[in-house]
Amino acid sequence: MISVENLTKTFAMKANKKNSLATTKDPREQGNQFHALKDVSFHCKKGEVLGLLGPNGAGKTTTLRILSTALKPDSGAIIVNDVDVVKKPKVAKQKIGFLSGKTGLYGRLTARENIEFFAKLHGVSDEFLKNDADEIYQDLDITAYLERRVEDLSTGMQQKVSIARAVIHKPEVLVLDEPTTGLDIMATETILEFVQLMREQGTAVIFSTHHLDEIALLADRVSVINQGKSCFDGTVSDFKQQASDEDLRRAFMNVLHGVN
Amino acid sequence: MWQVYIKELIELLRDKKTLFFIVALPMVIFPVLFGLMGFLGAKAAVSEQEKVIRYLLVNESAAPEFASNLFYHNDFKPVKLKLETEAEIIEAIKANKLDLVIVLNKDFKTQFDNSETSVWKAYFNGANLIGGIKFKMQNALAKFNEDLQLQIFTNMGFDQAQFAAFKKPVDIEQFDTADERESFGEKIGGLIPYILIPLCLTGAMYPAIDLGAGEKERGTIETLLLTPISRFSLVIGKFLCITTTAVMTALITIFSMVFWSFIVGQLLDVKVVSEILGSVGILDYGLIVLLLIPVSAIFAATLLAISIYASSYKEAQNYMGPLSILVIFPVIVGMTPGVSLNLTWSLVPIANVSLAIKELLKGTIDYSLLIPIFASTGFFALISILFCVHWFNKESVLFR
Repeated sequence: MISVENLTKTFAMKANKKNSLATTKDPREQGNQFHALKDVSFHCKKGEVLGLLGPNGAGKTTTLRILSTALKPDSGAIIVNDVDVVKKPKVAKQKIGFLSGKTGLYGRLTARENIEFFAKLHGVSDEFLKNDADEIYQDLDITAYLERRVEDLSTGMQQKVSIARAVIHKPEVLVLDEPTTGLDIMATETILEFVQLMREQGTAVIFSTHHLDEIALLADRVSVINQGKSCFDGTVSDFKQQASDEDLRRAFMNVLHGVN
Repeated sequence: MWQVYIKELIELLRDKKTLFFIVALPMVIFPVLFGLMGFLGAKAAVSEQEKVIRYLLVNESAAPEFASNLFYHNDFKPVKLKLETEAEIIEAIKANKLDLVIVLNKDFKTQFDNSETSVWKAYFNGANLIGGIKFKMQNALAKFNEDLQLQIFTNMGFDQAQFAAFKKPVDIEQFDTADERESFGEKIGGLIPYILIPLCLTGAMYPAIDLGAGEKERGTIETLLLTPISRFSLVIGKFLCITTTAVMTALITIFSMVFWSFIVGQLLDVKVVSEILGSVGILDYGLIVLLLIPVSAIFAATLLAISIYASSYKEAQNYMGPLSILVIFPVIVGMTPGVSLNLTWSLVPIANVSLAIKELLKGTIDYSLLIPIFASTGFFALISILFCVHWFNKESVLFR
């Protein structure tokens, strides 16, 4: 369903950034360029959850931004249900929902206004919003505060509204960039339950995280990126097997250090 | 595009800061400030005019007529001090013991009889904007000089009429062809764009920061970019919203100026103000608003481009500060004496609108010049928008 092949992405570097990296130089920095992604590939099928792992600065967010069409890759291909994301970003955007740790909501708008604004940008009909959107609101238990301004809602409530915003156009793929970072236990639970629900409904879910317990709980597949390169892509059991360790944390460290 | 426009507008109108800049500032704050400034200025002028000058004449006996003139003058009051040296005089004025010391020449009588100019010395604190002391002293001296001149002419056998003719051989009766509106427009017409145009900038500034750098800082821009709407539509939606707020600021300001001028005119029984404002006409007011639209568009696009480039609210504010000063220069053209609207000036953005507003208020505009004004301002607005769209398409700018 989602096929990411050999992604590369280079950014121009600023003088001040170069200086700041002078003491701990990243091998991806070459001259005035920073090769954020050198070769990233992974796959995820319908109804599967893929956990994207990697240390800070590995290239996870860049990968997810390319996947969600915010950035364009220098080379490589992303196919979502036979649609080339690079060549047909507008069509691809209809198939993708995106959620990050930041809720991406407008504080001065109500929860409903936020959801409906994004829904309309995705071409969702008024009829759907009137008749069918309630099901999503009820699943997420947000009906009670739909008319309240987002700035007046708690972080957990905001995150639920943000979920509704991300799935209101019924995406076939859901991309989550460290969605539980900075959230309390209740809000984290909401996200994880939601990911389970999406999987059950047949949505492909790709989420980046630093929490290996979330991988253990949810992921069917794991993809590890280190210094802009994929160093693993497979099932969770393959991950443990390749890393020769049942413990996910040690498995992750082994994969990073190239131990088989 | 319209979805974005409506969303941005709703969000801005729910923001207290925006409402302050668009509504409160032109409707209440500015009139109160201007009123207060006018009141305090007028009060200071009246107080200076009514102030009685405490004076001392040194060598008073040299010109008793002059001493008598000052003594019976309502604006002057003698003080009794013994000051002999220049240093003592200066010290006494600095210590606020008196306001004016005039040292008469001891030989004044002899000099006058020999037809020589007698030089006297006056000491006062001249660091005063209104200059009441100097003005009143010169008036008193002018009166004394005139009396002396009349005395000379009488001694020579001339009568008062001949003396008057000698003093002013040619007099001019003046016939001003400018009507009240033109004179009013010339005097304050340059000031109106000086208020209106920077207000358009202020009206656009906060929304531009909120819709660009603000979205980046809050992390909403990324969510917006992931929707199927094109970046061009996104920019145009935001741009139109900022332009709307800028034009609304100008509209409310014009309404506020007319409203308050009318109220003040009625309260103080200064009918000329309301008559002049009434004579400007709906068409000319409409044209002033129309002229401000492309100017607001230039501001909106430029500010949005700056805001999109900035990675935070604070950074955007830092970039926009110098722009406020830059805008003042072309606006000042409207207040520069001798500069009037012609084909060349009509092509200079912002300055052309400043001059045109002045001419519209005076009622002397050449309406054909509105074509190059709209063309040049529209052209610069379009360039600014295209630059803004280009900026919005750059990944390095959006994800700084």
